[in-house]
Amino acid sequence: MAKTVITVDDSSAIRMMISFTLRTAGHEVIQAADGLDALNQLKTRGVDLVITDVHMPQMDGIELTRRLRGLPIHKSTPILLLTTESDPAMKAKGKEAGATGWLVKPFQQDQLLAVVAKVFAR
Amino acid sequence: MNEDLQQQLVKELVVESLEGLDTFDQEILAFEHGDETPDTWNNAFRIIHTIKGSSGCIGFPKVESVAHVGESLLSVLRDGHRPADSNIASSLLQYSDALREMMRSIEQTGNEGAADHADLVQNLQALQAGISGAAAPEKPTFGFFGDENTEANQPVTPPASAPQPGAVVKEAPKPSAADSAIRVDVGQIDRLMNLVGELVLARNQIVQATGHLGDPGLLTAVQRVNLITSELQESVMKTRMQPIGNVWSKFPRIIRDLCHELGKDVALVLEGNETELDRTIIEAIKDPMTHLIRNAIDHGIETPDARIAAGKPAQGRLVLRAFHEGGQVNIEISDDGKGIDAARVVEKALQRGLVSPEQAGRMSHREQLDLVFLPGLSTADIVTNVSGRGVGMDVVRTNIEKIGGNVNLDSEPGHGAVIRIKIPLTLAIIPALVVNCGDDRFAIPAASLVELVRIEGDQVARSLEHIHEAPVYRLRGDLLPLVDLAKELGITARRHVEDTLFLVVLQAEGRQFGLVVDNIQDTEEIVVKPLAREMKGLGVYAGATIMGDGKVALILDVVGLARRAALLEESSRHASRESAKQTCAAEGAEESRSLLLARVGRNRIAIPLSCIARLEEIPLSRIENAGHSEVIQYRGRIMSVVRLSAVLGIEGESFGSGAPDCERLMPLVVCALEKDNFGVIVDSIEDIVEEQIRIEAREGQRGILGSAIVRQKVTDLLDVRELARIAV
Amino acid sequence: MQFCTFYLGSDLFGVPVLQVQEVVRQHEITQVPLAPAVVRGLINLRGNIVSTVDMRRVLRMEPLADASGSINVITRVAGGLVSLLVDHIGDVIDAPEDRFEPVPSVLAGEIRQVISRVCKLPGNLLMILNPDRIVEFDRSKITAAE
Repeated sequence: MAKTVITVDDSSAIRMMISFTLRTAGHEVIQAADGLDALNQLKTRGVDLVITDVHMPQMDGIELTRRLRGLPIHKSTPILLLTTESDPAMKAKGKEAGATGWLVKPFQQDQLLAVVAKVFAR
Repeated sequence: MNEDLQQQLVKELVVESLEGLDTFDQEILAFEHGDETPDTWNNAFRIIHTIKGSSGCIGFPKVESVAHVGESLLSVLRDGHRPADSNIASSLLQYSDALREMMRSIEQTGNEGAADHADLVQNLQALQAGISGAAAPEKPTFGFFGDENTEANQPVTPPASAPQPGAVVKEAPKPSAADSAIRVDVGQIDRLMNLVGELVLARNQIVQATGHLGDPGLLTAVQRVNLITSELQESVMKTRMQPIGNVWSKFPRIIRDLCHELGKDVALVLEGNETELDRTIIEAIKDPMTHLIRNAIDHGIETPDARIAAGKPAQGRLVLRAFHEGGQVNIEISDDGKGIDAARVVEKALQRGLVSPEQAGRMSHREQLDLVFLPGLSTADIVTNVSGRGVGMDVVRTNIEKIGGNVNLDSEPGHGAVIRIKIPLTLAIIPALVVNCGDDRFAIPAASLVELVRIEGDQVARSLEHIHEAPVYRLRGDLLPLVDLAKELGITARRHVEDTLFLVVLQAEGRQFGLVVDNIQDTEEIVVKPLAREMKGLGVYAGATIMGDGKVALILDVVGLARRAALLEESSRHASRESAKQTCAAEGAEESRSLLLARVGRNRIAIPLSCIARLEEIPLSRIENAGHSEVIQYRGRIMSVVRLSAVLGIEGESFGSGAPDCERLMPLVVCALEKDNFGVIVDSIEDIVEEQIRIEAREGQRGILGSAIVRQKVTDLLDVRELARIAV
Repeated sequence: MQFCTFYLGSDLFGVPVLQVQEVVRQHEITQVPLAPAVVRGLINLRGNIVSTVDMRRVLRMEPLADASGSINVITRVAGGLVSLLVDHIGDVIDAPEDRFEPVPSVLAGEIRQVISRVCKLPGNLLMILNPDRIVEFDRSKITAAE
């Protein structure tokens, strides 16, 4: 079943990569260049999965997670945090903010697909 | 072990390990590029082995045990029991980062840090045991919060039971490069530099104070001190110089990681690794260069797919070039990516209110691209999206300008971009020419000096011309714009020698100009001392120095001076082009013009000076044919020439190439009209005059505007415009 | 707090003593064309090149007929050192905290720019200078040296 995913990252290259990969798998993908942008888009619509970078200029991924969890429609939207290393401190913050999971950059396309599939299977 | 010793050991460990890890990275990268040698894995092994040993001894068990795991894997690779592959290489690079992280932690906090890198360790062990398989490594790169049972979140047992691949091989100690070098604290070198600087000043003072004394013994001694000081100075300066390759060595790794992260393929080409720079410059440019490279890869170079769609090879090219020129270090970073669209930059700048529409309208292409360096624009969406985590192009520029350099950008959409950085080799001691202007003395860095010209008496009047009020000097056929130093600085000139003009021909950013001064003294070596911040802003001074007599003298900033005067220069050139267009086309009433008077046969011809670029002499035999026109090879190009005698139908010496004396030199007047040059051949040149003339138009005469009486002779005024049409 | 004090005419000024490196007589000065008018020029202080600011010009006072006795007060500021050219030196004064007051509004604009506060001494008003303010030359204020 086709799902809608939003990719939030300040790097257009990453957004493109994620978008391309997931669309090949039949999902619909929308994009946001930054946490604030994503929040504005998601205030009025639901998605099946949020994949967000952690480090972004105006609003970072952790803050975005926190804010999304405060909105009724996104109480249980799966949120994956993208990080460049397995940072226990960041993971702790992410967990506390309510994120669903994390994924380490750099990742291969098939890895992304595998993780996304796992998320949708839960 | 006492504290001090411990501290020193720790410092040594950190420095050594970080250096080793850089080399380690290079070995792994070499393998990835297919450039590995039989020594590659050996070297890699040794580096990790050393880290393990020293950290163990100094009291960092965590580092020791992490190093141990890597050492085991590398030992296996070194012995050839397992072939390496790209998975292993990637893991090893991550491993190197982990060790680096630990070293940094030790450096900053004194302890090894909280991370235990358990997952990394586990991965390496798995690789060693040969479990690593398919393209997707099994290392836990993701996880779910609150799911304590997943593999990712399980605690890992310490690697104490890792299989030992046999005794560590003891190698015969090879005399490494490290043995012939010692580590010196940077502060020490700086102190040495200061002392040498002071010594040079004192030497200058001695030379000056004893110059007039006749004592031969004293003079010899002073000479020796002179020589020794110079040599000492050079030697100390050398110790501070490092090849730029030291900074560049980190880039292959950064680029590789970025490419992996962004799915791009970029080849890095480095030219000029050996170019040497002073330490302080190297420190200052590290971060700006890293940022610029990241930018180029993130925003400049497209993904392989996009590149193929654009007709480019899938692999992008990033070229770093470093070279010395004109007393400066030049660094160029060029990529063949999608480039920067100046129009979009202007759009963004307008949007953000950083520039007004009128200003934007008046900007040249270069100036538009330059907007990229404005704070507020740099971290914004210039090409496609938000970039850089807090470090923008404005910071890059500031950092480079802090060390006295400059940076600018050139780009064509679709064809990538080039960033050019120029940094003065501010080694504190430079040779300089001392000149007088007004009551003051100034020093001009010899690196910018082209030549010295002394113009006497009536030659002054003859060679000095004015093109639309800006003075120029005709130096061997070239028109050299002049800058009057006294005028620029707003001081009263004091001509030291009657009737004589002193010109210092200087080079600034590829353009030459002549600086008019009151008097020229000697060249000497001076110590460059920085000016107070406030003075720097004036733009015309590069620093100050203390002369032999103890007085301060200002050092002129040649480029700054040229720029300041260029307000005149630019507008005068523009104006001269404008007036050339007018003069060449117009028939005037009474107007004062500068004219070149020449002879063709028995006729006297006048050509407006403003149309003339150069005066040359060529043998008629150099004239060749191209289509219906006559041309000559001129300065590497093919230039059309017109024989006036032929055009005007006059029998002259230049009429017909079958002339008996083909090798005889004939004057060639190189005319410039808008973009194209063409040459006009006359029989002889008579004079250059400035006259008020009245032109009577004459119909039917091709190439002539009209006639006038110049210096009591009937003279035909050339229609340069028409001549240009005839020529081309 | 202790202040190194000096006179410009009959007005008394002070700089925190810790900010003053030394006091020297007139040095040979090299003028800097195009610099702001208040900058008299540069002097050689044992190999260090220090800018000299003419305090009379800063405070828009008439220049002295004979300025050969002027003194350089070498002061530490944010960017390094600056020399304040003054008429003559006063004593080092220990100013009690309770005698400090904010700058009175009657003082002219130029003075207010560079003074941080004043101290009422018996018989005199000590104006405390802020040297960093003195060296804040704006591009717009750059005029040819007079």
